[in-house]
Amino acid sequence: MASLPSIPGELASADVASGVVRLTVREELYPLDAVFAAAFTFIKDCWVVVDRADAAHWAIALTPKAAGASAELLEQWVGGFANELLACAYRHRLAKDHRATVEAVTAAALAGALGPPSLDELEDFDFSNEAFEDPLGIAMSWEDKYGKKAKAGDAAPAGSTDDDDGGAP
Amino acid sequence: MIELRLHKDVYDGAAVDAAMKQFGRYARLTARDEASHWVVQIEATTPARARTVAGELGNAALGGSAKARPAVQP
Repeated sequence: MASLPSIPGELASADVASGVVRLTVREELYPLDAVFAAAFTFIKDCWVVVDRADAAHWAIALTPKAAGASAELLEQWVGGFANELLACAYRHRLAKDHRATVEAVTAAALAGALGPPSLDELEDFDFSNEAFEDPLGIAMSWEDKYGKKAKAGDAAPAGSTDDDDGGAP
Repeated sequence: MIELRLHKDVYDGAAVDAAMKQFGRYARLTARDEASHWVVQIEATTPARARTVAGELGNAALGGSAKARPAVQP
């Protein structure tokens, strides 16, 4: 087994005669789901075997299907696999962290896809609920904020009309 | 003869069985159950053929094991 120039020897090594390159990664950083996902993208061109190196590490063996792999080619394969593994581990973490959000958005989309509510459902709906709490009084309708404000002395006398300007006939 | 050792933490037993059924017609396959590994012995007419069957069987078992995994849990 020979070490590869661009990758630390404790992480990867290559057996050029057998055409195999081995990568060792920490399970804490790269969960098995991420290893599976990365391996999936390589099984078209490589034979992939995943093993447990020890209690905290995965050992991944890549064998390119094309015969006559050189050390440079093996290095490219293992480098590409390491990059893919990193991306898969990050996607796995994002999926795990944002699962609740994705579920909520999906549920809302499915609820919207059910179509508009029926008249019976509208009849049973409680419209008296406040849309949201507004303890500071920030929410205000356009009319309340910009509409004409009635002056105190502008109260129209009883029986007067809009065109009653008090002028001569 | 090639011996393929598949760790039980990684490979699902049913997926290994399915892969062996899939590739059983290309080589003589013998399975052995060890404490930590499923061990598959592959005998074929030529070493190159045995190597190819071992590699493809390993890939099939890996894919089947990935499918058998439960969804990501929060």
